[in-house]
Amino acid sequence: MRWFTFFCILLCISLFQSTMIHRINFGPAVPDLYFPLVVFYSFLTDLKRNTIANWFTGFAKDLFSEGSLGINSIFFVAVGFFIWSFREILFRGHLVTQILITFLFSLVYNVLYAAHASLSFHSLPLSSTLWIIFSCSLYTAMVVPALFWIFNKFHHGRRLFFNQR
Amino acid sequence: MRTSTPSFSNLIKNPLAAVIVLLAVSLTLLFLPPKFTHHIKMACVVPVRPLQWATCFCSNSASNFFDRVLSAWQDVHREKQMEEQVTQFKNKLVEQQDTIYKLQNKLNAVSKFAAVHKNIKTKLVPADIIGYDTSNLRKSIVINAGSKHGIKPNDIVVSHNALVGKIISASGGSSVVQLITDPASRIPGRVVQTREQVIVEGNATVFCTLKYVPRWAKLKKGDDIVTSDIGGFCPPSLPIATVVENETKEGDLFQSVKVLPRVNISKIESVLVIIN
Repeated sequence: MRWFTFFCILLCISLFQSTMIHRINFGPAVPDLYFPLVVFYSFLTDLKRNTIANWFTGFAKDLFSEGSLGINSIFFVAVGFFIWSFREILFRGHLVTQILITFLFSLVYNVLYAAHASLSFHSLPLSSTLWIIFSCSLYTAMVVPALFWIFNKFHHGRRLFFNQR
Repeated sequence: MRTSTPSFSNLIKNPLAAVIVLLAVSLTLLFLPPKFTHHIKMACVVPVRPLQWATCFCSNSASNFFDRVLSAWQDVHREKQMEEQVTQFKNKLVEQQDTIYKLQNKLNAVSKFAAVHKNIKTKLVPADIIGYDTSNLRKSIVINAGSKHGIKPNDIVVSHNALVGKIISASGGSSVVQLITDPASRIPGRVVQTREQVIVEGNATVFCTLKYVPRWAKLKKGDDIVTSDIGGFCPPSLPIATVVENETKEGDLFQSVKVLPRVNISKIESVLVIIN
């Protein structure tokens, strides 16, 4: 049932991200709805579940995006593993922690992705790419409260905040 | 002492083994040739396409509805239509200007060119945009026409008489279009006013850059870029972009030129695919 919920959330995110996301953009800044899901599962679940969830999240992003298949899966699994490995020292229930972690790791993920794209095509200008990365990461972090609230609604058993058990 | 080989199900129960297995699968997928990758993507995404189309349709309908409500007060709708018409006429004008230039300089060549165009059997397929790229650094769209309609990879996609991109993969009822703003896109072009040959390269922003523009080329803001005959995959004289900024740095062989594509992809809902 948990996996069914996860795949439903993933489908909704994929549909929203691939059809309607450009309607809420601010210039080049577009939120990445997949990334908060990675952070949420890294905070919430054990290593195996977290890895599988992040792999499928990356794979879904790969399917709806132009480029190599598997690149987002690798990055999401790696980022999820890092967050999972030091989550015990974080106060995960606090909204500020969630926003900050999402922002910082979104920056890291986007820089890695941009490095991969630059190596492949040599056509990404440094200044504008850095600006896109910063603005997208900031926007992604800003949508975290709403998304985490929705994800929590679907995971009644284990809540991160709002009535944390 | 008894030794036994661990089964796959036991191995996958180990979290680290799961990480390694999934990373190995990702790496294998990563190194697959693009052709296989496109096939896998198309096969996996086909069941979701109707949902994607429905979501996009609902989103567009809602957006249109709100636009119409607004236009009751501000007459936005009429202005939008006028803007669209003006853009179309402007693009047509650039195309005509380019044709006139060719007529003036090489009448014989243009006659041949026209003859060739008469012989080429092109078919236009209208299609709606049903999806956008989920990555921030890649630019592609999904349209609701595919191999069923005769679309195949490398077919050209246009809107308002200007170039939008090219088809990179096509399945039965949908195709993926690589936009000219995608970092992997390279389109051979020509500056209408100076006749310089250039390469229009995407860089994941709303702008594109021109590659290989010589230092001595006298480009100025507002110059138009059209597709060139070089390479043969694009119909010639299709407007691509307009020069917005050019700069010549000390010691560089080429100028760095920023151009704005003629088509604003976020404002269009349908495109035309030119099938050769």
